[in-house]
Parts: sequence; structure tokens; C-alpha cells
Amino acid sequence: MTAALQRVWGAYVRITARWPAIASVVPFIPLVVMWWAVVEAGVFPRVFLPGPADVVRSFADLVYKGILPDYLHDSMVRLAVGAFWGIALGIPLGILIGMSQLAHRALWPLLLFFQAIGDIAWLPILVIWFGYGLATMTFVIVYTVIFPVVLNTVLGVRSIPINMHRAALSLGASRLRILWEVVLPGALPNIVTGLRNGLGYGWRALIAAEIIVGTSGIGFLMFDARRAGSVVEILLGMIILGILWYIVDSWILAPIERATGQRWGLVTR
Amino acid sequence: MKSLTIRNLSKTYFDPYAGKHVIAVHDVSLEVPEGEFVSIVGPSGCGKTTILNMIAGFIPVTGGEILVGGRPVKGPGPDRGVVFQSFALFPWRTVLDNVAFGPKMRGIGRTEREKIAREYLGLAKLTEAAGRYPNELSGGMQQRVGVVRALANEPDVLLMDEPFASVDAQTRMTLQEELTRIWQEKRPTVIFITHDVGEAVFLANRVVVLSKGRKLQEIGVDLPRPRSWDALNESDAFKALTSRVLQLVRAA
Repeated sequence: MTAALQRVWGAYVRITARWPAIASVVPFIPLVVMWWAVVEAGVFPRVFLPGPADVVRSFADLVYKGILPDYLHDSMVRLAVGAFWGIALGIPLGILIGMSQLAHRALWPLLLFFQAIGDIAWLPILVIWFGYGLATMTFVIVYTVIFPVVLNTVLGVRSIPINMHRAALSLGASRLRILWEVVLPGALPNIVTGLRNGLGYGWRALIAAEIIVGTSGIGFLMFDARRAGSVVEILLGMIILGILWYIVDSWILAPIERATGQRWGLVTR
Repeated sequence: MKSLTIRNLSKTYFDPYAGKHVIAVHDVSLEVPEGEFVSIVGPSGCGKTTILNMIAGFIPVTGGEILVGGRPVKGPGPDRGVVFQSFALFPWRTVLDNVAFGPKMRGIGRTEREKIAREYLGLAKLTEAAGRYPNELSGGMQQRVGVVRALANEPDVLLMDEPFASVDAQTRMTLQEELTRIWQEKRPTVIFITHDVGEAVFLANRVVVLSKGRKLQEIGVDLPRPRSWDALNESDAFKALTSRVLQLVRAA
């Protein structure tokens, strides 16, 4: 019995080593089977809890009508724009605060104060200022992304051993070059962690914003489906959220982490 | 390579916890001619690393002056190469790029600086490791990289702060022998900080014994070169010198 299990496990390890995509799909199989079983057992009425097949049908339908591709596109563009500004502002700010005692004293309390005002708490006033548009959404995402990026960048900059700076200075590096040659790469593993957290929060904040102020996007799709009483579309929206984040994380963020901090031995695998 | 002059050097810290000034280095003078290898030896807390940090320009002096080739030291600079106990290699750069870092900062082009780096890597028998990252190397190999990274920048003075303290005993002996060989080949001016009396004598032309921030004594070492542990372990002159230095350090 154990021997047979070991053989199956061995085969699984070999197969997933060859096709890693399989390893990310297999854990979902029991979940979907359970979902299907609960639905088929008829514990809940179909309208309250549709089955996997219904969701797939709804997916095909929305793709066919062109709604889903449009909404997906809108959500992804908003995330990308927000992420861009969050990174473009967050990393320099984090480096400044990490390197300058003065900047740290001046900005740290402000940072903690504004971090406490959650992203969605800004929505009422943003709607009055900017209306229901990209500006509002972008603000919310940038706001959400920027704090983890700044805080982790500060941590990264401060955790670079002083001897790294000293070594670079003794090898003739100017202060400016140290920024590029020591501070940035030294803080990079933390910056990537910050990005990973920030984008994860940003993604959730975006959906919340779309539900509240949206006129398109995956969040809006779910909100609209609730109005129409279509549980199947709500479920579809939730599943898409999970899959999209999985793709962003495992295709973009995780490889960056592997190529930098892990390669350099700065973070444990 | 240039000479190093230290005149009446002192360093006082303010200890905010004790609420008083602490004297770390007091009135130390030292003359190191061009191409000489000087070891500074003493127990922990005797101020030897503080002296090195002042020569490197990492911390300001309280009193006295430091001259390299006649020019006063103002902050860190490429004229003084430093080898750290913690190696301080850049983990995000390959071995080759670590060694080429100094020449790169001097504005030397890629082909030329990689040629320089390869030459120095060859000197420390590291040619094979050129493309690897520091975390993929053993401690002994990392410190070999640390030594040639400093040398490849052709500093006037090489400052070494207990560089072999964190490698195992066998590797340490090999590194010490390699260092004497490289020193003979390149003849840099070296200040070598250690608490290991045998190491201090083995490497140096002169040993300075330090105690409680003061210079106790200078002892000349005229053992023949090239030096090897196999030969010196049998040498009465080496034994006499180490026991003399050891007595000074223990009495300190």
C-alpha cells in the first residue's frame, strides 16, 4: 500500500518537475469535485449555488458577447497604471527615507498616519473630486500599492550591511554610484516583496473600487450580476480574480524574485 | 604603492549609555615604508580595528594625523583598499564583476577591466569561479575574492581587518601562505589586523603590539621568505618570536 503510494507520489513529482503548470492545477481538482458534488446532491437550490459547468457556460457566453474581454482589459489596465505609479513613486520615496535620517524623521509619521486611512476610506471624497473614472481608480490603487513598497524599500535599504557601503567607497565609488551599485540591488529583494504585497492588496482594492464606483471591470461585473441576481456570474468573477492574480504572481513576480534575491542568496528559498 | 605615516593618532568616543567619554586609541604613531607588511596584534577591544577604520577613513580621527604617500586622509578612497572580516562582497555581482568593480569605478572599459579582473583571479587561483555568485562559494574562496578585489584596484595601501578570522583552521593556513606569496609578487604596503599572534608573525615584516588603545612595542620579523607553515613550525626563530609577542599580548 505505502509502496504504491510512494510510486504514485514519485511519478507526480517527476511529471510536475517536467511540466510545472500541472502542479498549479492539480490542487484545485478536489475542490472542484467537492463543489460539483455539493451542487449535484442538491443541498442548495441551483439559483443560489450553480455548478462548475454553469460557470463555464457563463464564461463562454460572456466571452462570446465580448463583455468579459472588455472588462478584463479595463481591470488589467487600471492595475498596470496604478502599479506603475505606485512603483515609480514608492521606490524613490523608500530609498530617500531609508537613506536620510532627516527624511525619515519628517515623513515616517505622515506615512503611518496615511497608511491607517484605508484605500476604500478615500472613495467618498475621491468620487466628489474626480468622479467615477480612471482617476479615482488609479488613486486608490496607487495609494494601496505605495505603502507596502515604501515600507519594504526602507527596510531593504536599512538592512544593507554598512560594510557594503564601505567596500564600495574604498573601491572608489561616488555616493551617486553607490545608490545604483549598492543601495538599489541590496534593497531589491525587499522591494520585490513589497511589490508582491502591494500588487496583491492593489488588486483587491481595485475590485472593491470597481464594485463601488465602477462602470466596467471585473468588480463591476460582479456588482452588476448581483443586481440582476445572477449568482453564476458572481462566482465567475470570483474565480477570475483568483486565476488572474495567480498568473500575475507566478508568471511575473515570482520569477523576478528567483532571478534576484534567491540567486544572490539574500533570501532563503 | 606608497608609505603610510600615523602621527599621534587618538580616538575618543562618547558612550551615551555610560554617559562618559571612552578612549579607544591613545597617541599611536607608526611609520610604514612603501612595500612593508605590518601586523597589528592585540586582544579584543584594544583599538586595532578602530585604527584601521580611521586609516580607511570610515570614521573621523579625534586627534593626530594619517598620511598616505604624504597626503592626509580625508574619508574613504580608492588609494586604500580594504579587506573585511565579513568579506563584504557584493552578492548581486559575479566573482568577476566583484573584482572588476574598482576598475569600473575608475572608468575603465568592460574588456580592459575584465582582463584585469581575470589576471588577479588567476593570481588567487580563482579562474574557475569567475562566473559564480559569492553565495555559491565557500568562506575561504569568498575571502580570496575579497583580497583580489582590493588588490585589483591597485591601492597605495592594503588594509586587512582580521580577514581570516571567520574561515576554518586548515583553510586559514592555506590563505596565509597564499597571501605571503601574493605579497611577494605584488609587494603592496599592508596593514594587517589580527588577534592571532602566530598569524601576525607569520605574515609580517614587523609586528605592532597594541593594548588598551596604546602602542606597546614594535617587533621586527626577519624570517626568510617564501614562508610556509611546514617550514616555520620547525623554526626556532619563529617560535621565539611568537612566544615573545604572545607574552606581550598576554601581559597587556
